[in-house]
Amino acid sequence: MGFLVTTLIFVAIGVIASLCARICCNRGPSTNLLHLTLIITATVCCWMMWAIVYLAQLKPLIVPVLSEGE
Amino acid sequence: MAEQTGGGGCCPPMDLFRSESMQLVQIIIPNESAHRTIDYLGEIGLIQFKDLNAEKSPFQRTYATQIKRCGEMARKLRLFKEQMSKAGLLSSSMSSTQVDLSFDDLEVKLGDLESELIEMNANGDKLQRSYNELMEYRLVLQKSGEFFHKAQSSAEAQHREQASHQTGEQSLETPLLSDQDAVTDPSKQVKLGFITGLVPREKSMAFERILFRATRGNVFLRQTVVEELVIDPVSGDKAEKNVFAVFFSGERAKSKILKICEAFGANRYSVPEDLGKQAQAITEVSGRISELKMTIDAGLLHRGNLLQSIGEQYDRWNILVRKEKSIYHTLNMLSIDVTKKCLVAEGWSPVFATKQIQDALQRATHDSNSEVGAIFRVLRTREMPPTYFRTNKFTNSFQEIVDAYGVAKYQEANPGVYTIVTFPFLFAVMFGDWGHGICLLLATMYFILKEKKLSSQKLGDIMEMTFGGRYVIFMMSLFSIYTGLIYNEFFSVPFELFGQSAYGCRDPSCRDSTSAGLIKVRDTYPFGVDPAWHGTRSELPYLNSLKMKMSILLGVAQMNLGIILSFFNALFFRNGVNIWCQFVPQMIFLNALFGYLSVLIIVKWCTGSKADLYHVMIYMFLSPTDELGENQLFAGQKITQLVLLLSALVAVPWMLFPKPFLLKAQHERHQGQSYTALQEAEESLMVENNDDSGHHEEFEFSEIFVHQLIHTIEFVLGAVSNTASYLRLWALSLAHSELSSVFYEKVLILAWGFNNVIILIVGIIVFIFATVGVLLVMETLSAFLHALRLHWVEFQNKFYEGDGYKFSPFSFTLIDGEDE
Repeated sequence: MGFLVTTLIFVAIGVIASLCARICCNRGPSTNLLHLTLIITATVCCWMMWAIVYLAQLKPLIVPVLSEGE
Repeated sequence: MAEQTGGGGCCPPMDLFRSESMQLVQIIIPNESAHRTIDYLGEIGLIQFKDLNAEKSPFQRTYATQIKRCGEMARKLRLFKEQMSKAGLLSSSMSSTQVDLSFDDLEVKLGDLESELIEMNANGDKLQRSYNELMEYRLVLQKSGEFFHKAQSSAEAQHREQASHQTGEQSLETPLLSDQDAVTDPSKQVKLGFITGLVPREKSMAFERILFRATRGNVFLRQTVVEELVIDPVSGDKAEKNVFAVFFSGERAKSKILKICEAFGANRYSVPEDLGKQAQAITEVSGRISELKMTIDAGLLHRGNLLQSIGEQYDRWNILVRKEKSIYHTLNMLSIDVTKKCLVAEGWSPVFATKQIQDALQRATHDSNSEVGAIFRVLRTREMPPTYFRTNKFTNSFQEIVDAYGVAKYQEANPGVYTIVTFPFLFAVMFGDWGHGICLLLATMYFILKEKKLSSQKLGDIMEMTFGGRYVIFMMSLFSIYTGLIYNEFFSVPFELFGQSAYGCRDPSCRDSTSAGLIKVRDTYPFGVDPAWHGTRSELPYLNSLKMKMSILLGVAQMNLGIILSFFNALFFRNGVNIWCQFVPQMIFLNALFGYLSVLIIVKWCTGSKADLYHVMIYMFLSPTDELGENQLFAGQKITQLVLLLSALVAVPWMLFPKPFLLKAQHERHQGQSYTALQEAEESLMVENNDDSGHHEEFEFSEIFVHQLIHTIEFVLGAVSNTASYLRLWALSLAHSELSSVFYEKVLILAWGFNNVIILIVGIIVFIFATVGVLLVMETLSAFLHALRLHWVEFQNKFYEGDGYKFSPFSFTLIDGEDE
């Protein structure tokens, strides 16, 4: 799975979660906006975390060197 | 109100993002319905009354007497509570079937009950006292009877002995009483008086000594220890006592002894000399004791019934009295109209509550059969309204995190919205381990599931705090499970959950895996850190580089969010100066330096370049025109860097100079207006007040300039130091993973290696305690504090003023919750 595919998965999860929040607890436009903001923030945070770790391993400058004992 | 301007026209206003819009309202209430009106308003709990009599002392106010009455009633209730707890009764919240009492009726009733209870207590005390006295009397009778009996029998024995032997030898034991003469010839007997009684045991030695000295030894004292505890009639306490009998001769000695008895708190009881009479007295006293006992029991039963009936009503009365007190307290804050026919109330209320308040006013007018209704109107004011967020049990604890730093200024952007996600997220970056996350989740699920039960009972200090923050901890645990999956750590053990590791041996023999290392043979591990890194020699350098860069990226992102929020603030308050002279240069400055660094980090990762980023950043300042050489990451980098450096340099004076001058020009414009049209000036000043609170009538240019200077320096230096501050994410997450791997390897694996069940069990126990104590409790706390700091300082100083004051409405629900 490449970078884009996983990013799309994150986007999809975000969209699904927003839709769920919209359908399950629809409490007026301003509360819905709050829920949407929270979901977007959470999704962006999680995606950033994943993306950083993924990108860092894309073209490794150092590789795992096993310890002597193993 | 006029300042109802939405944050961007496209979307509805977001909950929690801005505090509720408030209005200053004035309510004119006719005297006759005032009490009921305040009662109804207290039930709604959405008005914060202003004290209109601030200059008056509490005693000068209109309803001072009522408040005093409430205080008196509260005192009576406290007395009942005390009596109930003494009697071991609990105030049971039985179904209140009784009709509601009015305030006056309750006062009468409480007065009656109090006097009844006090009388009962007094009677009970009196009875108890005489009962205790009788008990002591009986003891004295019994014990001194023993003295007399013993003395007499030994005297008789001696007499017989003497009669048989007729030797003059006198035993030391010979009691004084049974002096031979006295027995043989009563007519010659020197009249010996005696006093009997009880003396506290700890004083008995001193008592004896003083008696002996005072009478120069012309006294004979006998004491016996009473084994069981005796209840002292005067104090009502249980005490250890001795029964004593003093024999003396002469009136002077008697008066001395009486005084000494008094001084030592020795209770005297007269005992008949004659043995027969003594026995009679004992039976008489016993009879009276049993009689008294019955009376006392009946009294106690009656009292218990009374307290029981009070206990059933206690809670209701207590709430009623507290309610009344708060109502009168509020009434005291209202000013009286000149005609003395109505009261004028002023207070803040949220705009959305207008309808509710008007309904309540109408109901109050109707219910109190008042002819005139209360008048409700909205006042215009320049004052800063209080800040009121409608939170629920989930958002409340996050809002409290923000409020602990400072209450938001009226309607400024609330960092609490983002804190709900970013706070647990940053916590989790430092606490990434999905095993620990699950433990935390289980613990907090206990709190959440038992929420109803736990919220009603009293908890300890620390438990209370944990319980209050249960939803914060819940979110923290969810995010730490996620980051734990990213870090691929389960109690520091990696799992191949998302496919195979990307790394493999160079050749089948794996000869150089310990020297040259593995090579990447597959696609990058799709989710999180590759499990192959765990336990390798290059794990630490790799993770350090990764986590350090991640901290900077996350930090720059969060700081950008903070600056963007300052843009929304400026937009909301229609403050163009802040957008152009603060938001824009700040964005440019931060992103020209640290945004660029972030871009470099990502470019380096994507291209796999070996460029030295430190070198690039340092020489971007030191010699921007030099060739980059092997450190070049992309084409045109030199030009880009020059442009960025120049824009960052331009941004600093841009932040510093224009704003004070623009403010000055703005102020002069307002001044000019105020001379021409007073009405308008007032309105524009109102807007002004909303724009910038630190900006009053008198305009001190130097003050504004210095303020701006400080702000600029703070931002420029802060951009560097705050970015560095985010490195704590790296440090703490490193500490956490290292600690957990130490506990795992040095305790659990070591214990496993011994192949001994006992050592294994001990190892497991030590591991569990270390994990819970150090990792789950202490590490949670430290990561929490660091996340708190990152939010309060690094995030909020970009936009948050936090100089508002909290809306504290007059509400009965708040009063009920209060503890006495």
